[in-house]
Formats: sequence, C-alpha cells, structure tokens
Amino acid sequence: MEDQILSLAEARGAQAEVFGSEETRTVVEFRANEFHSQESRLTHGHGLRVVKGGRVGFSSSSNPDKVGELVDAAFETAEFGKQCCFEFPGPEPSPAVKTFENRVIVLPALKMIEWGRELVDAVRARVPGLKLDVTLDRTYGETVVANSAGLNKRFARANLQLSATGLLVNDGLVWISEFENLSSGSPPSIGALADRIEERAILARSRARLATGTYPVVFMPTAVPDLLYPLLVGVGGKQLEKGVSPLIDKVGRKLVDEKITIADNGLRDFGTASAPFDAEGVPRRRIELFDRGVFNGFLFDLATAGACGAESTGSAVRDYTAQPQPGKSNIQLLPGAARLNETLAGIRHGLLVHECIGGGQSNVLAGDVALNVSSGHLIENGKVTGRVKDTMIAGNVYEMFANVAAVGDTVRDLGSYHVPFVMFPRLKVATRD
Amino acid sequence: MDNLKPFLADVLSGVAAQYADIRVEESEETGIVYRGQELDQIGRSLERGGCIRVFHNGNWGSASFNQIDEKLKGLAKDVAAGVEALPAKPETLGSLPALSDSVTVPEADDPREVPLADKHALIKHYNDILLKTAGITTTMSMYHDAFRTTTFLSSEDRCITQESVYTGFMCRALTRDGTNVQDYHDTFGKTAGFSSLQNREPMVERIAKVAIELLKAEPVPAGKYDVIIDPLLAGVFAHEAFGHLSEADFLSTNERLRELMKIGTRYGVDELTIVDDGTMPGERGSFRYDDEGSPAQRTELIKEGRIAGHLHDRQSAQQMAEKVTGNARAVSYRFSPIVRMRNTYIEPRAFNIEDLLDSVERGLYVCGSRGGMTELESFTFSSQYARLVEHGRQTKMVRDVVLSGNIFETLKNIAMIGDDLVMFGGLGGCGKNGQGPLPVGLGAPHILIRNVVIGGR
Repeated sequence: MEDQILSLAEARGAQAEVFGSEETRTVVEFRANEFHSQESRLTHGHGLRVVKGGRVGFSSSSNPDKVGELVDAAFETAEFGKQCCFEFPGPEPSPAVKTFENRVIVLPALKMIEWGRELVDAVRARVPGLKLDVTLDRTYGETVVANSAGLNKRFARANLQLSATGLLVNDGLVWISEFENLSSGSPPSIGALADRIEERAILARSRARLATGTYPVVFMPTAVPDLLYPLLVGVGGKQLEKGVSPLIDKVGRKLVDEKITIADNGLRDFGTASAPFDAEGVPRRRIELFDRGVFNGFLFDLATAGACGAESTGSAVRDYTAQPQPGKSNIQLLPGAARLNETLAGIRHGLLVHECIGGGQSNVLAGDVALNVSSGHLIENGKVTGRVKDTMIAGNVYEMFANVAAVGDTVRDLGSYHVPFVMFPRLKVATRD
Repeated sequence: MDNLKPFLADVLSGVAAQYADIRVEESEETGIVYRGQELDQIGRSLERGGCIRVFHNGNWGSASFNQIDEKLKGLAKDVAAGVEALPAKPETLGSLPALSDSVTVPEADDPREVPLADKHALIKHYNDILLKTAGITTTMSMYHDAFRTTTFLSSEDRCITQESVYTGFMCRALTRDGTNVQDYHDTFGKTAGFSSLQNREPMVERIAKVAIELLKAEPVPAGKYDVIIDPLLAGVFAHEAFGHLSEADFLSTNERLRELMKIGTRYGVDELTIVDDGTMPGERGSFRYDDEGSPAQRTELIKEGRIAGHLHDRQSAQQMAEKVTGNARAVSYRFSPIVRMRNTYIEPRAFNIEDLLDSVERGLYVCGSRGGMTELESFTFSSQYARLVEHGRQTKMVRDVVLSGNIFETLKNIAMIGDDLVMFGGLGGCGKNGQGPLPVGLGAPHILIRNVVIGGR
C-alpha cells in the first residue's frame, strides 16, 4: 500500500514520504495476584507527508478504504503548511542492530500467562499480604519508510517486557515496582525479581522519620529516569530551533559533574527504542549527549536540522498518526566506580530513593523537578532502615547533577533507560515529620 | 462500510461465550500547532478500527483491529478460544436488557463542515495576540477537533450508534531571561462545535500577562502553608487525589483499600460533596452511553463529608454488589474499556473568595495546573503559579509551587468551600493503565485547605 499512496501523491506533482507501521501487540495482565486479562492489538496505518509549493502537508489513516481521502487531506493541509527546509533522504545503508528475536515472536500467550503465574506464586510465598500486579507486554511488527528520493526501507522489531507492581497495605500504602526487559528471548529471572521485591517489602514494614533538611541522597536505578528526563528535555532539536532550550550556546561546555556521561544509543541490541534507521529513514547511531560532564550537542530530525543548519542525527520518532520530531532513543548513563554497599556504608544520615511520583510536572524545560518520594528509605549509620512517608525532593537537575558524589558500577536495563544508581552529596528534602 | 451492523452482528454470532461485544469507531480529526510565528504542524487523520471483547467463565479476552473484513470472524473466534483455555473464575457480569439507540450530534456542531482555513485563522489569531505582547519569547498554540461515530453491539442485543464531537484549543506563552525560563498556558474545549472556541480573546490576553509576571516571581520557600486553591487546581485535586481512589476496578480487588473507601466513612467536613457526572451538557467528559453500552449517570463520591459511592464498570459493580455507574471508558478503539472518570467536581457552598482570603493569616493563593499524579494515598500536583497571602491580602507572585500529601489527611483539612464552581474541559486529559489522554471534565469552586506541604527550594 505504501507504493500506491506514494504514486498517488507524486502524480500530483509533490515530493512525498509514506511511513507505514503494522504491529501486533499481546498484553497479559495479572491484578492483585490473579490473572486478569489477555489483550491483542493489531495496528495497521499510514502517515503521508507531502511537500507542495515549498510547504509541508500531513495526513494519516488506518482506513484502507480511504486512500484517496488520505492523499486529498495531505494536499489540503499543505496549503497552510510549514515552509519546507529539508530534503527527503535517498537510499543509504543502515547499520546492523538486533531488534528482534524469533523466540519472542513465536512465544505463545499461554507461556506469558505461565510466567506471570510463576512470579505471582514466588512472591506470594515470600511476602504474604502483598498484592502483585504483573504485566507481560509483547509487541512485534514492521516499520516502512518510502519516499520520492528513492528510499524504501523496512525493519522488524520485537519487544517483550515484564513489569510488576506490588502493593502492601501497612501504615498507608507501599508500592514496589520491578521491571525486566526480555526482548533478547531469555525467560524472566523469577527468583531474582522475587528476591528484590521481598527485600523491599521487609524494609517497608518499619516506618522511619526524616526531618526537613539537606541530606546525602542515593537514587536507585529505578528512580534515575525521573532525573534524566528533565535533564534531557533541552537536548531536543525542536527546543533549540524555538530558542527555548536552556542548553543553547552551551555545546562544548562542562555543565554537569565529570562523573556523568550520557549517551543516546539507538543501536543498543534489544533496546526498546532500537532501530537500524529512524522514522524518516536516516541511519540510527550512538550519540554522546554529555561526555564526562561536557554537553556535546542536540538531537535532530530532518526538519529541525534544516532549520538549525545542522544534519539529522537519525533521531526522528513518530507513530503513523503524527509527523516526525526529534526524540530520545535508548538513554544510557555510563557506570562509574562506586559499589552500592560501600556507598551506603559511608552515609551517616541520608535518604535512599527507589521510586518517585510527580516527575515531569514542574517546569521541566528549565530543569526543575518536584518529586514525591513514593518509595524511599532512611539511611542511618550506613544501614538502610525503615520507609519514609510524605517526602519531597525539589530542585533543578542541572544544579543537582553539577555535584555528584558517586555513580554506581552496575547498570540496570529498564528498557529505554540503562542506568546505574547515582548519589548526590547534598539535596534539599522536605517532609511532614 | 454501509452494512457494518449486520456484518458485526454476524461476527458476534460466531463467538461461543457467555458474553461478547464489539465496538467500531470511525473518526476524523484535525490538528494545528503553532510554535512561535511558525505553523509547526497541520494535519488530518482518518481513523477506523474496532475492539472485540469476550467474557467467559470469569475471564476476559480482547483484540483490537484496523482491518474490517472476513478475517475478523477468525480473530473473534481466536479471542474466544484463548479465553476458553483459562482456568474458570467465579466472576459474573450481570445483565443488561436489549436496546437499540442512536445518538447524533447536531449538524451545526460538526467540525467537518468548517473549512480548514477558518480553523487555521482562529488559532493563528490567538497565537498572534501572544506574539504581539512585549516580553513574550515564544508561544505554542494548538487547535484540535474530532468527530467520532461509534457503533456498539453486544451479545445481549444492545445496539448503539453514538456520534460525538469535541473542539478545543490551548495557548502557551513562554518568557525567558537568561537561564530563567517560565511559561504559562490555558486551554478551553467543549463537546460542541467550532463556534464555542470563538471570542476567547480575554483568556488569551491573560495568558500573556501571567507569563510575563512569572519571570519576576521567586520560587516559593518549602514548608507548610494554608492554601486557597483556585477552581482549576481544586478540580485537578478532586480528580487526581480523590476521583482515582473511587475507581472500583482497583478497590474490588483489594479488601483493605475497600475498607478505607467504605460507604459512610467520614473523610471531610459536612460541606464537602464530590461528584462524578457523565450527563453535563457540553462538558468534556459527557456522553450518553459508556464503552460497554451502559448509560451515563451522575454519581456522588463524597456526600456531606462521607464516602457515598464508587465508580464502576459492569464487572466491578458485580464484584462489589453495587450498581453499574456507566464509567467504563476506552481512550480509543485500540483498548478495552476500564473504569474511568467523566466530569469530576466539588460542589459549591456559601463562601465567596473574600471570605476565604480573610481566613488566611499567612498562606498561598495557588492557581492553575501543570498536572498531577497519585499513587493512591500519596498525591503530588503542580500549580502554574501562586501568590503569597498575608493578613488576608494577596501579595507577590511565587512560582514552582508543588502540593503533596496524603489524601485522607488533606480532605480532613479542607476548611472552607467557595460558591464559584467553574468546569474545565480543555485539551489534555487523564491517563491510566496506558490509556490516555482520555477526555474528562473537572471543576470546583475556590477551596481553603490548612497545613499543606509545599515542595519548594
């Protein structure tokens, strides 16, 4: 169908690009220790970009009976569309990256249900009273990009992820979340997942108090994305183009602690956002955003690169219903030298953060965060003790990352984030105690 | 497809199960985005797809699809076979009587009849108001409309065709001074036609004014404050902090939470009544039938300070032996419906805003919303700006005001409820279980809450 849409658009004297995606998603859910549902989603749709009279028009459709209307709508919007400042890329070889594993594609839904049941049973045996939600989410499908410059590329991707959230009712509600990326085809590590949930459930049984003040704070890998998200909003080419990124004129400058190296790696094998090429057909690559604290540059798609006098970094992201825009792929915070037990042992009075809520709600573009610590523990004389409640960490991530005490030596795969723990020497913590 | 209903009935008739339904949506949407002076995005989408659900022996199975052809019969049978293979559970769905109904949108409200040029001109006009204001660094303005026809058939012979419409816009102004970047936005929308978006210049002018003032505002010092919350943020509070707790799909599976939310339990003052209502004309979360074909209703969640009701789909109502409330909603045909809110609001009482201010010795008047989140008892929500209140008078503007706390304690700390209910239904919406943004309405009068933890610097 891509060819048919492309020819119809070209016949009307336009440069055109068709993005197609066809995907099958199977989601198996357990809620509160019980099997809840199995859902399938079969998605098939196309997005059409046309350049007519120097302006860009866009339409999308999942209705195969309306190919003519799809093309009409793209041309209708092109009358008002943005001035085009790029050219569609021609055919060019893409790098190799593992994006699917057959074992994932052929995995029966009943096997996914069996794994979910095994995890529920393992956790139930260790932590009576804990209610576990488990989701196994498998997606496979094909993405196609074809354009008037002769590019016609397709690739297949299969992702499989397990996420689990345990709920304990104990002096209020305690949430414990776990995640495992299974896209490489290995079965879930039930024992290790259950161990981690059990360990946190035991710690959560006692309540600890922390007064408002300034403390050393350790962000466990599960909480690190809440800090990286606002730190990286400004690296988008769109924010640069519009003059709103706080990173404008900062390329080549040391902005954060030298322990911090962050890469956007679209070529990580089995990363949830990995692909040989981006949503415009431009080859994906590994981009070092911060190198030992120094800001290296922005992420671009074709349009923002054109507007900023740069080249696309192969960072276009989209689904078929939307035009591309520059976006992150898989984010890697490179490991440091710190061991968790040694780091904790050195803290006399501090806070350990496993999970937060409220990320992304403050003025994230400026780097501001206001995180409600939904799962955190007091560290006292080097030991992790009881659970803290009603605790907030607010500040600016550029300021926070400017002074990092330690970066962990072990990385956790959280799907699109690949991160170790991070310790800050002094953060302001507000509590009700 | 002209003969859609008989075809879908045919698909359903091939499913051997205790219950099955199928929902097909056909929609047309237009979106326009301005960033600064430039038109950033303009696009139209033509969607068609559906979702089939099968319930058997206490288990659900479902599949969504885009292709509506003979293969659908095979997909329906596959879903039924998958459900059949699962161990039986004692759950039931209850039953609904056979029904045939059709809900239409007045022709004058159909945004498909409005030329694209008019939609473009309107959002450009609002965006230009911001751009022409001295001190504004850049803007983002967004127009969105949607016209949707949903066809629902169930194995209980319920056959409903429902049209729905939404038009809305959002404007954001951004100001910058060195590394200090501030922004303010507001949004408006109705389940009504294009004309409801016209003549909104005063709202847009206010956006520019606040964004400029924010640049000079200092971050609020962290601590505990008495806070007066404006109707928008109070509506977000009602939705985020309390509404989600009332969603019975979660309660029905957790005995101890059910105990916390037991009907009759007191959590607030006598004046506090919180309602979730799907029947308010023009409001964003209104509809005639939910996505399981149950009629929408008005449901009291808290009445005079005590828990009065929960929000249900068919399954959760059976599990808790309560009445179906018509809260089963799906964000699109790609999803099965789950329990969601509609228009959630705090009922107005006798006090005016001056009465509330007079009761605050030292506190904050907190306005607007950047969104909020809950993990049941814990909530966090961010305002757009606030003003210090000193001896009953509003003084300087402060920013970065984030409220957090425990919902049960906070409800008890509501001290005064105003008389000025305002409902909101702009762009954006609610997210839950990966389904978002779902159109919801929310609102409240001004309210005064004592001793709220404010995260600041």
